[in-house]
Amino acid sequence: MITVDSAGADGTPLPRRIPRSSIRGRLTATLLGFGMVALATCALAPLVGTTPISLTRALDPAIPFEQNVDAQIFFVARLPRVLAGALVGSALAAAGVVFQAMLRNPLATPFTLGVSAGASLGAMLVIVFGGALTFGSFSTVPAASLAGAAAATAVVYWLATRHGHAISTSVLLLAGVTLNSFLSAIIMFVQYLADFAQVYRAARWIMGDLDIGGYDTLIASLPLVIAAFALFAWLPSSLNLLSVDKDAAAARGVDVPRAQRLAFFSASLATSAAVSLAGPIGFVGIVVPHLVRLLVGVDHRIVLPASALFGAAFLVACDLVARTILSPVEIPVGIVTAMIGGPFFLWLLVRKS
Amino acid sequence: MASRTQKLIALVAVALAVFFLGTPLAQSREGGAGPGRIVSLVPAITEMLFAIGAGPQVVAVSSYDEFPAEVKALPKVGALLDPDTERILALRPDLVVVYGSQSDLQTQLERAHLRTFSYRHGGIATTLGTIRDIGVATGHRKESSDLVSSLQARLDAVRDRVKGRTRPRVVLVFERQAGTLREVYASGGVGFLHEMLDVAGGTNVFADVARESVQPSIETLLARAPDVILEVRASGLIEKTGADDADAWSALSSVPAVKNRRVHLLRGDYLVVPGPRLAMATEAFARALHPETFK
Amino acid sequence: MFLIADRVSYTYNRRTGVEAVKALRDISVGIDRGSFTGVIGPNGCGKTTLLKLLAGVHTPDSGSISLDGRPLPTMSKRYVARRIAVVPQETHPAFEYTVLEMALMGRHPHLGPFQLEGPADLAIAGEALAATGTSHLAERSYMSLSGGEKQRVIIASALTQSPEVLLLDEPTASLDLGYQLEVGLLLRRLNRERSATMVMATHDLNLAASLCDTLVLMRNGRVLASGNTADVLTSAMVRQLYDVEADVRVHELAGHLTVVPLGRLS
Repeated sequence: MITVDSAGADGTPLPRRIPRSSIRGRLTATLLGFGMVALATCALAPLVGTTPISLTRALDPAIPFEQNVDAQIFFVARLPRVLAGALVGSALAAAGVVFQAMLRNPLATPFTLGVSAGASLGAMLVIVFGGALTFGSFSTVPAASLAGAAAATAVVYWLATRHGHAISTSVLLLAGVTLNSFLSAIIMFVQYLADFAQVYRAARWIMGDLDIGGYDTLIASLPLVIAAFALFAWLPSSLNLLSVDKDAAAARGVDVPRAQRLAFFSASLATSAAVSLAGPIGFVGIVVPHLVRLLVGVDHRIVLPASALFGAAFLVACDLVARTILSPVEIPVGIVTAMIGGPFFLWLLVRKS
Repeated sequence: MASRTQKLIALVAVALAVFFLGTPLAQSREGGAGPGRIVSLVPAITEMLFAIGAGPQVVAVSSYDEFPAEVKALPKVGALLDPDTERILALRPDLVVVYGSQSDLQTQLERAHLRTFSYRHGGIATTLGTIRDIGVATGHRKESSDLVSSLQARLDAVRDRVKGRTRPRVVLVFERQAGTLREVYASGGVGFLHEMLDVAGGTNVFADVARESVQPSIETLLARAPDVILEVRASGLIEKTGADDADAWSALSSVPAVKNRRVHLLRGDYLVVPGPRLAMATEAFARALHPETFK
Repeated sequence: MFLIADRVSYTYNRRTGVEAVKALRDISVGIDRGSFTGVIGPNGCGKTTLLKLLAGVHTPDSGSISLDGRPLPTMSKRYVARRIAVVPQETHPAFEYTVLEMALMGRHPHLGPFQLEGPADLAIAGEALAATGTSHLAERSYMSLSGGEKQRVIIASALTQSPEVLLLDEPTASLDLGYQLEVGLLLRRLNRERSATMVMATHDLNLAASLCDTLVLMRNGRVLASGNTADVLTSAMVRQLYDVEADVRVHELAGHLTVVPLGRLS
């Protein structure tokens, strides 16, 4: 084994400097910090809204639920909304980090590879043709969009692995972008066949909507997101190595095809769950990772969990703005994230040049 | 350098051409005793045409026309977003009913020297005015006038019936994602749905919103706490699901409408088309809001 | 023989058939433990591919690679990475890692799946940076460095893997003369004092002559000759390899063979 004593080329000892940065410390501090931000945001958001409510009255067990408007606003309208925002925000932010590392491109988003287009097509088909059927009290739109997302994921994966186990990232990117265009064309065609109301509903769905009004869809999405995050946990170290160089990663012991598969499927799963719950909310998957990297550096072992936490806080905050700023009219949350995302990127560009 | 004879022949030829070609065009411009062939792209006006006796003159309708039954046999020529200009021209109509926003189509039709009638969407007064105008345009002035009077009378009758009764606070929902309370669309304080509700003795909880439609959040629905939830749907959708979709509202148990079981689901496209059946729709609203007045 | 390539062939894009390139044709190479082997040959001869196969990055289409008698596929990738490290020719990270972060990535095969670097790992990285003269760059962004600095950092990150075998692909390509000498001396020291087995692919015949005790000469995916540097590095071989007429002789002051190109053969 080669060990290096810090001697110079000619054998004379060099001053030894053991670097001070401890990742353990930084990771703990970051998780604590971002965790508190996320918790605070999620705890305060249900208290704020267009209608003033009193928390004591809402939590008063003496008042029967049917008569407690404050409690209903808190538990039926706001709390599910905040929880959905946290879930979707963290899923999209984390998926963004993973896709950016896997595709070795900081401009990749969770929607680059066509997953969200598949979800949109699924939702659209049901809105226009299926008459949005119900089974009991369960709407088919989320299920259809999940199916669409899964189909798109499968197609892209198949295209990218036709020649061997390893995913060629350039083929993956090409396949994803192509699928995106193709599906967008089909979506346009379906909209063309639809009547006016359906077109408006479809357009509205694409803008994103966290107002789920209940816990059913949230609970249905939870296992998917938990599964995705369980898979994410295995990735950060490999993502560091993969984003430097694929062959170097292999030479350092990373099972590259397996890591790529894991990254691709976990990120697609998280994106599918998020989009089927709340529609394709843009910019979260790219603004949050960039912001986090500005704050904590680029080591994925810190960036991935920090982005998940910050993503939750970010989307909950955006939704808060969306539902209060033009009260009583509500802006779709996707517009707020876009309004923040666009200028942010311009600023990044200007800063870099 | 043509000879004098040749010039004379050319002049006569041109005059004859103008005479033979120009005359039919001139004739169609006059209209005469009313257009013989009408194409209607607007379902509301199609209904009006049949109601005032101009039904036999209708030769084609839009893809979304369903009423009355006679239109099912007629050729379809597209609608707001996809009017089939070629087909319309091939039918040689004397009058084409178009949407006010279809400016390109109107220009094309005018270039072909065809008469157009432009539809404007509006409230009750606008609708009744449109019935009158289409009556004039199609030579059925008397029938349209009679129709307007009878509709007005029916509306007044509804107003009288509910006069003096407490006006419940109503949210008038015309769209939502089936089975859930997501993407609820309700009538704002403007438009014919709002006006019909007003005639039928209800107060729109969103009367303060100066738009035809509003998409309230669940919090807003809870906060506005309507006494009655009135859902209107064009037929087709609800029949397919079978289950009574109103269960979705039970999550908002603090809302008076839910507590007192005053959630009404009305089906039929007569409810959403601003045409001759709006009196029928208004009566349906009144029956839902003030059932005791219909005993 | 410690690290053996036994009749290996490798074709790029074999499965697609599109732009398939047969990089190695049935070659056999044996590396002795503790030796310093140079792999030389013109562009496209297969040097880089050979290094990648020896490190286990690619699996040969036919034949096998074995380390210490055991074929590579019988060992886990992490295990192989703890024993063999690669210094690639170019590295373009997608994100702005610091020099220290780049160096610490070499500890990956020594850490468990959820384990973070500890003080021992930091110490090893620190020493590797010091040995390549890049300690002062530890907190700098890798992408902001000069070509030579980058190369030394990459060598440092290979050293943090604490390997027994170091495979280097053109390690002195972007270095100025001074750093070329320094890195050369560092490599020789590692080879002699730590018994590190070195395999170096290079264009620089003089560097190879000064450092390597064994040479493997390749052209068009085949081995033309291999053996002791003194036996194999002749002007006849240079002619065969590069179509270049060169004078090859021992330089009095340098103490090793030198190659001076005289002219291109038409």
